Amino acid sequence: MTPTLERAALVTLLKTATRPWQILADAIEARASALAVLEEERGLLAHDGLDDAAAAIAAWQRSGITLLTVLDPEYPENLRTVHDRPPLIFIAGSLRPTDARSVAVVGTRAASPEGLARARRLTEHLVGNGFTVISGLAAGIDTQAHTTALRCGGRTAAVLGTGVRRSYPRENANLQRRIARDGAVVSQFWPDSPPTATSFVRRNATMSGLATGTVVVEASHTSGARAQARLALQHGRPVFLPGSLLEQPWAREFADRPGAHVVRAPEEIIATIERLNSPGALVP
Amino acid sequence: MPTVAELTEPYGNFMLGPVRGPRVCDVCMTFTDGYPRCYACARTPRALDALAPISYSVATGQLHHVLAAYKRRNGRVGRLLSTQLAAVLWRFLSGHEACLARAAGVASFDFVATVPSGAGERDERHPLHRIVSEMVAPTRDRHRRLLDRSAIPVAPHEFDRRRYNVTGHVPGAAVLVIDDTWTTGSNVQSAATVLKEAGAQTVAAVVIGRHLNREWGRNEQRLRALDRPFDWTRCAYCAPASGDPAGLPGEDAGYEPPCSS
Repeated sequence: MTPTLERAALVTLLKTATRPWQILADAIEARASALAVLEEERGLLAHDGLDDAAAAIAAWQRSGITLLTVLDPEYPENLRTVHDRPPLIFIAGSLRPTDARSVAVVGTRAASPEGLARARRLTEHLVGNGFTVISGLAAGIDTQAHTTALRCGGRTAAVLGTGVRRSYPRENANLQRRIARDGAVVSQFWPDSPPTATSFVRRNATMSGLATGTVVVEASHTSGARAQARLALQHGRPVFLPGSLLEQPWAREFADRPGAHVVRAPEEIIATIERLNSPGALVP
Repeated sequence: MPTVAELTEPYGNFMLGPVRGPRVCDVCMTFTDGYPRCYACARTPRALDALAPISYSVATGQLHHVLAAYKRRNGRVGRLLSTQLAAVLWRFLSGHEACLARAAGVASFDFVATVPSGAGERDERHPLHRIVSEMVAPTRDRHRRLLDRSAIPVAPHEFDRRRYNVTGHVPGAAVLVIDDTWTTGSNVQSAATVLKEAGAQTVAAVVIGRHLNREWGRNEQRLRALDRPFDWTRCAYCAPASGDPAGLPGEDAGYEPPCSS
């Protein structure tokens, strides 16, 4: 873990951010130091408030919340490689290095029985093959993905649009506790943050970044899952659309984009992800 | 094993093919306010016969991030990003190396060299060296270690021919130089200068990203006009000449491409 002073400097930079988060993340990673960036911004006043930030980090830790910054080697590697990665994330529960082998399973809150069944079968297949299933703790498809993963004894991570101390929707507070116990609840927002107009889309970017690919199980054109599919392509990550989703005009248009894959079976998803994530040799 | 096509396909969502034309620098293809050459290229001695940036790389964008992260990360992620960039280079060269050679006035390139990295890092360990010398089929057999970073300290981002020494035999050769990013062109132009001084007949370059800031001038507007899926079948040298490819409607045309042979 990075020295306390560096973590405190990063928290201080974000608490009093004068620049967009992403610009700060770039500057911090380029210098491999948040303190150096803070000193550039504030000069001699840089060290004011660092004790408060260090105390806040210690208090989060005591309440079971882990802070990971882009300077920490434990920061998720998949997330590190997307341009809009958050400079820090909070975790209730624990993320493991093996959670890098993961797929985001997302979809509508107003799920049909077929959509729910598809989410269940897909999740069973993914966790059965050692994948961590990532979703957004919303009602409908997300809830089905998380509960199926837990039921099968697999790994699951929920990425929130609020702080990790909040539950949204409230009905999923109990599910959130179970995920924190057996998997990871992840948020880029301060632990007590309420949802805001933009927080769910920003959360979708983080969810896409954590996963090696995104599967949209069932979604209308207004769904947040569609927003995540768009963000995943912007990250250069594959997006998988079940054939049945092509009933939706947006999905038919989307399926033509580079990086979008129409799939008939979960095996195709795993095969594609394994191929895209095997570094080294290339064939024409 | 992944294919070049399937690894590069997703990159099409964030790569932006460079254009030539009015208000575009005739050396590096960055956007200008109307001058034929950008400020940096106008004040940098030009030894390069032609440059092909594969894509614009916008600060804070995904390509920009990958071009920084592939050098910074060790382990699985670094190797994965290197593999993806190798695929990008492979696909571009197999489609458009001939276009660049034509623009540079040669039939083909004899040697391929990488620009040595910043001081402190050894060239052999640099992932770009590995990409060009091992991973990319169109370059690996022609790769030669032609350049070495000199021990003389020089200002960063400034043209300085003392930055590199030529370590290979190049008289009469056509050399293709490869670098990951072009910002001011100081590294590539310095490298091209010493190669020419050592007798190279022709030096052209491919860079993966031509760095741009969204905030500068009218870049935001001009980038938005370019925002379309990346077309692997076209490069700046084989795209059909249009009045204003950089897309500022209602302004003058009447531009002659410099290398339309």
